[in-house]
Amino acid sequence: MTSEPEQPVHGEATATPGRRSFLRGMAGGVAGGVVAGGVAGGFAGYAYRGTPADPAAAANAAAVQGRLPAVPFHGKYQAGILPVPQRATAVVSFTATASSRAELAGLFQTVTDRARFLTTGGTPPPVGIDGPPSDSGVLGPTVLPDGLTVTFGVGSTLFDSRYGLAASRPLHLTPMKSFPNDDLDPAQSGGDIVLQLSAGNTDTVLHALRDIAKNTRGGMQANWRIDGFSSPARPAGTVPRNLLGFMDGIANPAVTSAAQMDSLVWVNPPASGEPAWTAGGTYFVVRLIRMFVEFWDRVDIEEQETMIGRRRGTGFPLDGTSVHSTPDYPADPTGDVIPLTAHMRLANPRTPETASSAILRRAYNYNRGLDAVGDLDMGLVFTCFQQDIKRQFETVQTRLIGEPLVDYISPFGGGYFLALPGVTGPSDFYGRSLLA
Amino acid sequence: MRIRRLPAPAAGAVLTAFFAALTACSSSGPGAAGAQQPGVIDVSGSQCGGTWSVPGPGWHTIQISNQGTGGAEIDLVDPANSAVYAEIENTGPGTVNPISIDFGSGKYALVCLFSDASPLKGVTVTVPGHATGTPAVLPVTYNDLIPPAKTYQAETETALKVLAPETAALAAAVRSGNLTAARRDWLTAHLQYETLGDAYDAFGDFDTEIDGRADATGVASPRWTGFYRLEYGLWHGQSLASLVPVASRLNSDVDQLVAWWQTQQVPLADLGRRAHEVIENALEFQLTGHDDYGSGTTLASTVASITASRVLLALLHPLLAPRYPGLPAVYTGLSQLQSLLEKEQLPNGWWVPVSALPDSARLAIDAACGQVLQELAPVASITEPRNTVNDF
Repeated sequence: MTSEPEQPVHGEATATPGRRSFLRGMAGGVAGGVVAGGVAGGFAGYAYRGTPADPAAAANAAAVQGRLPAVPFHGKYQAGILPVPQRATAVVSFTATASSRAELAGLFQTVTDRARFLTTGGTPPPVGIDGPPSDSGVLGPTVLPDGLTVTFGVGSTLFDSRYGLAASRPLHLTPMKSFPNDDLDPAQSGGDIVLQLSAGNTDTVLHALRDIAKNTRGGMQANWRIDGFSSPARPAGTVPRNLLGFMDGIANPAVTSAAQMDSLVWVNPPASGEPAWTAGGTYFVVRLIRMFVEFWDRVDIEEQETMIGRRRGTGFPLDGTSVHSTPDYPADPTGDVIPLTAHMRLANPRTPETASSAILRRAYNYNRGLDAVGDLDMGLVFTCFQQDIKRQFETVQTRLIGEPLVDYISPFGGGYFLALPGVTGPSDFYGRSLLA
Repeated sequence: MRIRRLPAPAAGAVLTAFFAALTACSSSGPGAAGAQQPGVIDVSGSQCGGTWSVPGPGWHTIQISNQGTGGAEIDLVDPANSAVYAEIENTGPGTVNPISIDFGSGKYALVCLFSDASPLKGVTVTVPGHATGTPAVLPVTYNDLIPPAKTYQAETETALKVLAPETAALAAAVRSGNLTAARRDWLTAHLQYETLGDAYDAFGDFDTEIDGRADATGVASPRWTGFYRLEYGLWHGQSLASLVPVASRLNSDVDQLVAWWQTQQVPLADLGRRAHEVIENALEFQLTGHDDYGSGTTLASTVASITASRVLLALLHPLLAPRYPGLPAVYTGLSQLQSLLEKEQLPNGWWVPVSALPDSARLAIDAACGQVLQELAPVASITEPRNTVNDF
């Protein structure tokens, strides 16, 4: 057996179970094919040594199997905030049902433990005779991280009287404001807790959701949920499109600039008046926005492009020659080229006065069946991160009130949350600085 | 109630028949494979694994290759007391299946239960040191389950004999034309029926007659009978005269069930399964309001299901207590759920319908129910009757 320990992990193509089938089972659970116990000549003994959660092995296996490697879980900030949207996401809002502050802390520790395992990968405990399997098996015997990120946030309602957290409420955390063009459904809005799970594949997201949910049944109860996806950039090298057919989220602060992130994304206690525990956190806005795509598809291209401010095919600004060229609004003060009411121009006027309202925009598409008249129910899971909701998201959204695009979209749900500070190490947990 | 359709013939006794068909395929299978290959532990009707080892404490996977001519159950046990670390419940000839556990310091042995051979116990493998690994669970045997099954049989018979006069009183109230009395007697009798834990096809076709939903038939169908049919009529303005045949039929179906039950035997594996299945049913059909045909009493039905689960847990308690560390959390969880539900009983004895529950109460109830279901889930695994080498 020692002659074959480096045998590569077989992918889905290995069809029939047989003597080699164990190789698949080794993926992620065994570092570097360490095989022991084999002795030549009539000895049937065999075993391999595996560690349940070995990130190096898991990443290696992921590369072999066409799944994304692990995104490191521990850090000052949560790992899912800065990266561009992944292919699959789910946003789920929960009401905390834990009966005490201690139980709430236990809940947050459990979510942390599950997130740490799921984002790292490894082999779940084997099935014994003492209960049903601990893992759903959706990802096979070994959980590959597949780029999974778990973004965990809290809403303003968590800071009511139930857990004695009123004095710790983040300064700008309120219920989501209803804007004049909104049609918010209370059943799909708000929540004490929000989880956004994103990964390279839908099965990875759903596996993680089932795992976290089964381990937290008594402590939190789901209120609303939406699944999203982001598309490949078409053509390659551009920016993924939303379901209006336009590239979405072209202009964003530079996530590689610590200075920009410090001034626009991460909350800034105590100078800003935020409670100290929020250091490393960021405000997380979720807006569920229906797009009336049938109606949109009956609008001619010029009207579509002037509503947005960009060419639909190329993504270029109407006055520009590349996706990322900066529209020259000073040269077009009356909006002859890019109308003053174009979505892009209202959202980001690109003036010194409006620079501090920039948001880190991370939108996903959603697609979930039909509405009452048989039209397609699809749209946008708009998410954004910012230092101050009022200064940023609400300011941008206020500029957008009454824009021509509102006839083709309808915000119907979502919420305001604070994405908690990152989990810094194996003994840390989500919300420790809040609950400890 | 919902019927769980089991994927294989009921446990244990049918193992041999199940594998008989597979055996025919095996002649050109493993036998032709030739010499034993390294890296795999071979088992057959004449040899239970030969010599094998693991390199030390820790997480290891051993691959079990069925080289025999029949199907088999392969267990990894503690040879001192036959407690089971892991099992492969049915491995067909020619197949290779992994056993993956965290090996602690201690003694391990394979047990091979072939359908066409005498049971064998393999060599004892000692893992040195002082490491803690996957715990072994003492298997529950068929013999262990016979006394609780007999008690369950008798207790259910007693409860059915309480039910029968209640449905007779209900039928009388409907005949008398007294709607208030009919509704009251309906609730009494229906909750008594729900405490019987009528999941899993326990009552055969009777359950469809007595407690069937309108899902398949529609509410206007004359084929729809039983408690829910009567509820629908009593709460939807149907005349009591028109409901007399429904109530009479219900009463006679219950009488027949009482007689039929005395001729039945409870499948042993059902005891543990029902303990959680009745609560699964409550979550799916009562707490969603699906089974509210007008009376708004599905929370009361859920309380009745808790009673049914408790009856089963009490019978299984001597088997569960030494095997399931989470058992106290089951009792705590059932009590928490029940107290949340009982807050929703009105002073006049009726109940808040699920559809009228405030969000906070609904979320708390659903969370408590989901949590206790997680705690209940191991009960069925632990109390599944298992063959052991000592049984042969």
